[in-house]
Amino acid sequence: MGGLLAFSRGVDRMNEFIGKAVSWLILVAVLVSATNAVIRKVFSVSSNAWLEMQWYLYGAAFLLAAAYTLKQNEHVRIDIVYGMFSRRVQHWIDLLGHTLFLMPFVLAMLWMLTPYVLKSMLNGEVSTNAGGLLIWPAKSLLLIGFLLLALQGVSEIIKKIAVMRGVIPDPTPFISAHEAAELEGKALIEELAQAEEKHK
Amino acid sequence: MMELIAQNMAPIMFVSLIFFLLAGYPAAFSLAANGLLFFVIGVELAPYSNNTINLSWPLLNAMPERFWGVLSNETLLAIPFFTFMGIVLERSGMAEDLLDTIGQLFGPVRGGLAYAVIIVGALLAATTGVVAASVIAMGLISLPIMLRYGYDRSLASGVIAASGTLAQIIPPSLVLIVLADQLGRSVGDMYRGAMLPGLVLTGLYFAYVMLVSIFRPNSMPALPKEARTLGSGVTSLIVALVLAVAMFWFGRDWLDAEHGKNSGILAAALAVIAIYVMAILDKSLKINLMSRLAQQVVIVLIPPLALIFLVLGTIFLGIATPTEGGAMGAVGALVMAAAKRRLSFEVIRSALASTTRLASFVMFILLGARVFSLTFYGVNGHLWVEHLLTSLPGGELGFLIVISLMVFLLAFFLDFFELAFIIVPLLAPAAEKLGIDLIWFGIILGVNMQTSFMHPPFGFALFYLRSVAARVPYIDKVTGLTMAPVKTSQIYWGAVPFVLIQILMIAIVIGFPGLVMHYKGPQIDPSTVDFTIPNMPGLDSGFGGLGGGLGAGGMNFGPPPSN
Repeated sequence: MGGLLAFSRGVDRMNEFIGKAVSWLILVAVLVSATNAVIRKVFSVSSNAWLEMQWYLYGAAFLLAAAYTLKQNEHVRIDIVYGMFSRRVQHWIDLLGHTLFLMPFVLAMLWMLTPYVLKSMLNGEVSTNAGGLLIWPAKSLLLIGFLLLALQGVSEIIKKIAVMRGVIPDPTPFISAHEAAELEGKALIEELAQAEEKHK
Repeated sequence: MMELIAQNMAPIMFVSLIFFLLAGYPAAFSLAANGLLFFVIGVELAPYSNNTINLSWPLLNAMPERFWGVLSNETLLAIPFFTFMGIVLERSGMAEDLLDTIGQLFGPVRGGLAYAVIIVGALLAATTGVVAASVIAMGLISLPIMLRYGYDRSLASGVIAASGTLAQIIPPSLVLIVLADQLGRSVGDMYRGAMLPGLVLTGLYFAYVMLVSIFRPNSMPALPKEARTLGSGVTSLIVALVLAVAMFWFGRDWLDAEHGKNSGILAAALAVIAIYVMAILDKSLKINLMSRLAQQVVIVLIPPLALIFLVLGTIFLGIATPTEGGAMGAVGALVMAAAKRRLSFEVIRSALASTTRLASFVMFILLGARVFSLTFYGVNGHLWVEHLLTSLPGGELGFLIVISLMVFLLAFFLDFFELAFIIVPLLAPAAEKLGIDLIWFGIILGVNMQTSFMHPPFGFALFYLRSVAARVPYIDKVTGLTMAPVKTSQIYWGAVPFVLIQILMIAIVIGFPGLVMHYKGPQIDPSTVDFTIPNMPGLDSGFGGLGGGLGAGGMNFGPPPSN
């Protein structure tokens, strides 16, 4: 178990780093989009490269952050029934979900995406829009995103088994969506209070 | 036996999806797994299906291309942009300033704080589109003041929760973006269609507060004199307004020669800027020509109005796409937060982190839904649903009522993203077949989803309010008296009248399609729309809008022309 948990920690750390880093791409996308809009109107110049760059950046952010989102247990669930089960049953649902829902999907996608991306790469595929960007790096984002997700899936399975055996504490105790809403409110109050303090 | 299963794959797949989702594993992956599982079963059973299953292994190769379609979808870019904008604004303290000032402005009127909450709710809705932010801000600031001066607890919490949910239906709401994407319509049209219903709804809230203030005056007293810290001075505010209107009037004539049809907007912008500069000079140079109240109202109200114009105005005028509008709004929010000295590295970092998290789970639900729909269409599920829905009794009206009920109930335990990505694509073809305009349909769905946000006991707005309302007795900061906590039952009961208003609103949108259908006609002038919110003393703007709808659509239940 020790070796597996070490692997899991490594994956967690990597995905946490990537997940946090890519969020800045959204800020870049905002700035690119706003600048592009102004330039387009004021100078009547428009470039497909700048338009494509926006969803490139967004795609990179949400695809590469998906693994981190999984680690943080932030992919939304419908918890109306799930919330009524004991924590033990919830563990089983998670474990079965990881192995029977998540992993087959992610592996199947990897299997289908690999030739798809390779083909695009070998052809040096470029956007069909005039002045557009290279396409294959964007398509590789899909592949990388699912690769990270596969690794995170394995890490989650390892952690779930360790938690169920009592080897490690539960990293993500169950919080219902409604409790989460209340917690979000409380966190915001504190944050605003701190900001207020600094302001004065 | 094999034949029976093979020929009923669609219903079997749908029912098992319900079980997959209810198990509580993240919806994105449950959807995808359901799609893949039934793809395999479908391919195996295809020979028994009498051609009702059109699935084969090579079809699976369409999957990467479908994902690529999601990735290269420019419309969906608006989701992170507006989310980021909303979160930055939430931290900028804009809501707090608005509530303080507008509360002071309306304070002397009976029920004034409730009106202020509704107005601020609508203003926040037109800038942020985030329910949590609005409800929390209002619960934090207005609720204690309302309780201090003897407002009925249920009424106070109901007004706050309901006004917060306006963010769902007034553009630039995320719900409308997602619905437009799934219905295959433009976001701009969806925004145009939602504008009047959003204002009518705001008007209905106003009307309700007004009725209560007449029939139960003790439930919402006016602020006593000592609570009006900005003093009075509405006269100079009115003078300022008249001045602005005059500047607009003459400015338009003056600019008309050079700028033609844009002169109206330019003149309005100039007049607003002029008043803003005047108020700032008046305050900072201590000339104090205006009353303090008037200064404050002008200084606090104009930046959000400018932001609303920057986003919605440019979209409605066709200057910017909704995505660009979102990006400019986000930059505007950053500027506003910086001007209020609330912008720090930490604020940006945490806003980006929340945005990325939301973007990631939303987009993965969409990816999962793409896997599901490949199989579901392959087993002719769309035809099955369409047949089910179009054979409902009552034709178009029957369909809309059943769908409204269904969405209303489903929204209790499905996120609106899940609803939009799983359910809406199934409903859209049936609606289209019945000749229902999809923008109109989208607005009806939008009001339904909004309602589920305030419906006890599941509505999320109620939980946001619960998190900021006192659970234990507390000492009021101003009066020093011990105040009773707000009971959860009071929050629930407070929401009930507003849920009834929502149901009335759904009936209005269904009954008067003209409220929405004007999106096809000449564009509405956003400058008039902006001004109806702060100025409206109640009903006129709401019912004015309704009158406009009446004229255009008429009281017929016949299908509006679909495009």
